[in-house]
Amino acid sequence: MNENSWSNILTVASSTLNQMLRSATPVALAALGGLMTEHAGIMNIGMDGMILMGAFTAAAVSTALMSAALGIVASVIFGILVGLFFALFTVKLRSDEFIIGCALNTFAMGITVYLSRSLFDSAGISNAPHLHNISIPLIRNIPFLGSVVSGHSLFVYLTWAFVILMWLFVYRTPVGFWIRASGESPETLRTAGRNPERMKWIASILCGVFCGLAGAHLSLGNLNGQFGQRMVAGRGYIAFACVIFGGANPVKVFAAALMFGFFDAIGLQLQSSKLVDPDLTSAIPYVITIIMMVYVVVSGQRRRERIAKQQLKKLELK
Amino acid sequence: MKAFFLRLKQKLDFGYLVALLISLGVALLIGTVILTVTGFDTGKALGALIGGSFSSRQYFGNMLEYAMVLCLCGLACDVGSRAGIFNVGGEGQLILGALFAAQIGVWLKDASPWIAIPCAALGAVLVGGFYAFIPGVLKVKLKVNEVITTIMLNSVAVFICGYFSKGPWKNPSPRVVSDTSPLDRSFMFSKLIPSSNLSTAIIVSAVLTFLVWYILQKTTKGYEMRLTGDNPRFARFAGIKADRIVIVAMVISGMMCGLVGMFRVYGAAGKYQSSISNDYYFEGLMVAMIAQYQPIPTIIISLIFAILRWGAIFMEDTVGVPIQIYWIIQTAVIFCMAGEKGVRAAIHKARETRAAKREIEKRREGGAVRE
Amino acid sequence: MTDEIRFEHISMEFPGVLANDDISLSIKNGEVFALVGENGAGKSTLMNILYGINTPTAGSLYVRGEKITDFSPKAAIDRGIGMVHQHFMLVPSFTVAQNIVLGREPKNAGVLFDNRKAEKLTRELVKEYGLEVDPSAEVRDISVGLQQRVEILKTLYRGADILILDEPTAVLTPQETDELFDVIRRIVREKEMTVIIITHKLYEVMAISDRVGVMRQGKLIGVENTKDVDEKKLASMMVGRPVLFDHLEKTGEPGEVAIEVDDLFVADNRGLPAVRGVSLQVKKGEVLGIAAIEGNGQSELLEAITGMRKINRGHVTVCGKDATDKTPGEIRALGLSHVPEDRLSTGVDKVASVTDNLLVGRQKEKRFNLFGFHQRRSTVERYAKELYQKFDIRGAGIHTEVGSMSGGNMQKVVVAREFSFDTPVLVISQPTRGVDIGAMEFFHTRIIEQRNAGAAILLSSADLDEVFRLSDRIITLYEGKITGEFKASEITKEEIGLYMTGTGEGAKA
Repeated sequence: MNENSWSNILTVASSTLNQMLRSATPVALAALGGLMTEHAGIMNIGMDGMILMGAFTAAAVSTALMSAALGIVASVIFGILVGLFFALFTVKLRSDEFIIGCALNTFAMGITVYLSRSLFDSAGISNAPHLHNISIPLIRNIPFLGSVVSGHSLFVYLTWAFVILMWLFVYRTPVGFWIRASGESPETLRTAGRNPERMKWIASILCGVFCGLAGAHLSLGNLNGQFGQRMVAGRGYIAFACVIFGGANPVKVFAAALMFGFFDAIGLQLQSSKLVDPDLTSAIPYVITIIMMVYVVVSGQRRRERIAKQQLKKLELK
Repeated sequence: MKAFFLRLKQKLDFGYLVALLISLGVALLIGTVILTVTGFDTGKALGALIGGSFSSRQYFGNMLEYAMVLCLCGLACDVGSRAGIFNVGGEGQLILGALFAAQIGVWLKDASPWIAIPCAALGAVLVGGFYAFIPGVLKVKLKVNEVITTIMLNSVAVFICGYFSKGPWKNPSPRVVSDTSPLDRSFMFSKLIPSSNLSTAIIVSAVLTFLVWYILQKTTKGYEMRLTGDNPRFARFAGIKADRIVIVAMVISGMMCGLVGMFRVYGAAGKYQSSISNDYYFEGLMVAMIAQYQPIPTIIISLIFAILRWGAIFMEDTVGVPIQIYWIIQTAVIFCMAGEKGVRAAIHKARETRAAKREIEKRREGGAVRE
Repeated sequence: MTDEIRFEHISMEFPGVLANDDISLSIKNGEVFALVGENGAGKSTLMNILYGINTPTAGSLYVRGEKITDFSPKAAIDRGIGMVHQHFMLVPSFTVAQNIVLGREPKNAGVLFDNRKAEKLTRELVKEYGLEVDPSAEVRDISVGLQQRVEILKTLYRGADILILDEPTAVLTPQETDELFDVIRRIVREKEMTVIIITHKLYEVMAISDRVGVMRQGKLIGVENTKDVDEKKLASMMVGRPVLFDHLEKTGEPGEVAIEVDDLFVADNRGLPAVRGVSLQVKKGEVLGIAAIEGNGQSELLEAITGMRKINRGHVTVCGKDATDKTPGEIRALGLSHVPEDRLSTGVDKVASVTDNLLVGRQKEKRFNLFGFHQRRSTVERYAKELYQKFDIRGAGIHTEVGSMSGGNMQKVVVAREFSFDTPVLVISQPTRGVDIGAMEFFHTRIIEQRNAGAAILLSSADLDEVFRLSDRIITLYEGKITGEFKASEITKEEIGLYMTGTGEGAKA
């Protein structure tokens, strides 16, 4: 192989990996929120809508106040409100979490575009003040790594920090333990003197915040200050799949998001090469998620059977 | 006569009716507030919203077609839920059905419509049924949560359809990016109202709706499904083959969704395109949920939503209000209905606790007298 | 000794059930108090009040002289009350140490959970109380015996000095039980703790407790010093409902064998062996009663015979045909009807009407089907009305939702349906649980009618009087094995009680 084709491959690889990080970030952010509700035992399929509302809030406030930072702050505040709203129904009123999630998605489609059209006279927003890509000194000069890692928008880097923080929160703080207990065994938590419903509220609010951030990143980071009705493009469901796939562990969920990002990037590369259709590669992560679910269930059954067998043997010995 | 009213009272759940009416009222109120705040002529807008669907034959036809789609999707959900399995994958089954039906029409373009249309319907039904069979079996045999698998399968279906409609089955014309070739005009259901979406498909749908209602409410199989859905352990205990009923119900649900896809293609669009369904199934599903999985309320609520939707479109055309107000009002109804259960339960519980307390106090007093 | 805990006129009502009825009871500092009673006697409810899970509907509770007004587990924990629940309160995916410190975690720098410290604290507790368990193991991977230790350690970690144990030995092997008792004795002696133990195994009461309270049907029947009573006395207090009924006329001679169970092994929901090598026969025209205390394999045995539970080893024959590992439907076709133990989960469709509940099993019969698929509602309703009247079901008619009916009427729906099949074999479990005394007579008469008409009946009941009244023969089950077989006329309730509690002769074998 000559040097030229090597450098070609390197270029393709680095742009694929760059795109992977880009595609994975909004999904990962939302999934970080989704894993909170998942731990708290709430099936949250309303993330799509939460992201869309976050994206709109960020773009609209950013446009109105001419400040991307304020846009992000607004999306966080709005995320809190959405989380409260979600918890009001799923926790307080014990409504079906599924119907609330579904309705939230539809509601988001309605309210964002309605407001966009009545406030900005257009179904979308463009040219909102947005986040600029950050070129990291030193790293950007490293040959391969530089072109992969450098030059992303702020949230790409923040997400890495969030993953670690979230991992610490979930697995290394008391509240994290309580949230997990509130989903897995709420009565246990109650008998330990902590209120599982309160944990579910907290999880729900955190989910709203992260989905809001995911939206803000989409509109102000990824799309350079745009908002459009279809911009979320099912990322809420992808995030949901990541949560399931990653077993709600922030690091694994992030890995799952990277996998989705990778297949997305591959798809974009293939679009130009016409080798394999990008739609087929995009479907792979979902299929893998289903296979994973089956695997988790089957291995769980095996595990129970094994433990029962051990106990049986012990009884027989006695 | 008294017996008749007693039966009527048992059949009509007044609490539910009141809740539905209140929810509709609240939703319209929210809509009014939003309209006022965003500076529209509220009276005119509301008039258009409610009356728009009846403003012309075309709107009326489109409204009926939309109600038909919602109703069939809702009923498909009913069929699954009746047996205790929740089909969230209808969207995927619907678009796959649409895709295959469209392509079968392309393959059979030289055949007589009497062959092509049944073949397309059969294809759509088989594809939809198969696509529902997978999560059905996974649930029954491995206890894998069907809600999550069907959500995943929805996404997979989107990509499958994307692949075929942009790839091997694409309209060869270079100007087209992602549609299948248009169907022969003779394959299309004939329009009942010209230049509207309303076609003879609605007659088939009406028959189908009747059939679903009939099977669920009036037959022995429907009875067995109901028991299975209510309490699968009891059904098994009583000798009903519960596992099989669950799978069959899921497959039928998928078949119906596939058929809706075919209706969209052969009744309205004339080809497969990515806008063949705009999350119609999810809307139908919400209809089914607030109809509490009962066929007749499903029909009624489908009609209400369809009237509001085409009313909203009319409102946009005439008053200039963005059509999205429709989603807001619709979801407001749904939120109210979903919350109402919790509110009613809370009231009920408070009442019961109070009654229990009174009862014990009464006993205590009685006891004191005895002492 | 002073009063540590005082219940005064405590009543607790759940919708439709008076679980505790005017209970007054004092428990002294530093004693082991045993609370015994049949299932559903209200023991757990009373203890859940003490632990703050239930707020009593009426009455007051005093702990160390202080009147309790805030009922919550948190407040109870703060007062030094710990409870080990019958269904363990553990988070399966957490480690032992994490479960123990849940709710009051040791922290690092004030924020982070300090896992190392949690494990260290756990190890210290383990050492102090001699309850060996690996702090870093995940709870879902350890045996139930160890899980219980975790539960006890948890309460000790929280600084409990009043320890409530709800049926602690139900899941333990005899060795584990002995170990548990050693621990209880030690903590009472060395740490001056007060222990309340809920149980229905009487020899355990004798082995561990200082005083014992007996509950029945939500009422406290009596409190005794353990050394002043014996198991016989307790057994009669526990089950001793005065027999108010008329004599039931039993006629006819037993015929051929209709149910045959051969060396049956069945597992419970956790996969542990619940039935261990049971063989029995029931002849036509006789009632075989199973006397056993809840959780000794009788439920699993009946479920296995009727096809509701997988059989691990052994055979079941119904009416001369193999019924091993068949579906419930197939076994019904062999000529068996079944009144299940838990009518709400298994016996009825709560949200369906009386009509629908009475029909099931016959829905495919020709008379109810037009063209083989259309349900002839009027015929169905006529049939339902017939049964409704015949079995004296009292409610708002055949369109009533079954879930809204009283326990007795709901049971009548179940019995009406199952007895209407007139099958040669009837398997009946808890026929009168939650049924008022008035309706009891009705069910007993019906069961004997079926017997006299030549049905083979296998009966299981927690109510010993009922077993005695209805059965021709009685077998006792203890820990999944048959410990004795008797003619009902040749044995007393007290003797049976000893076999049921594993103390009768031959029971230890």
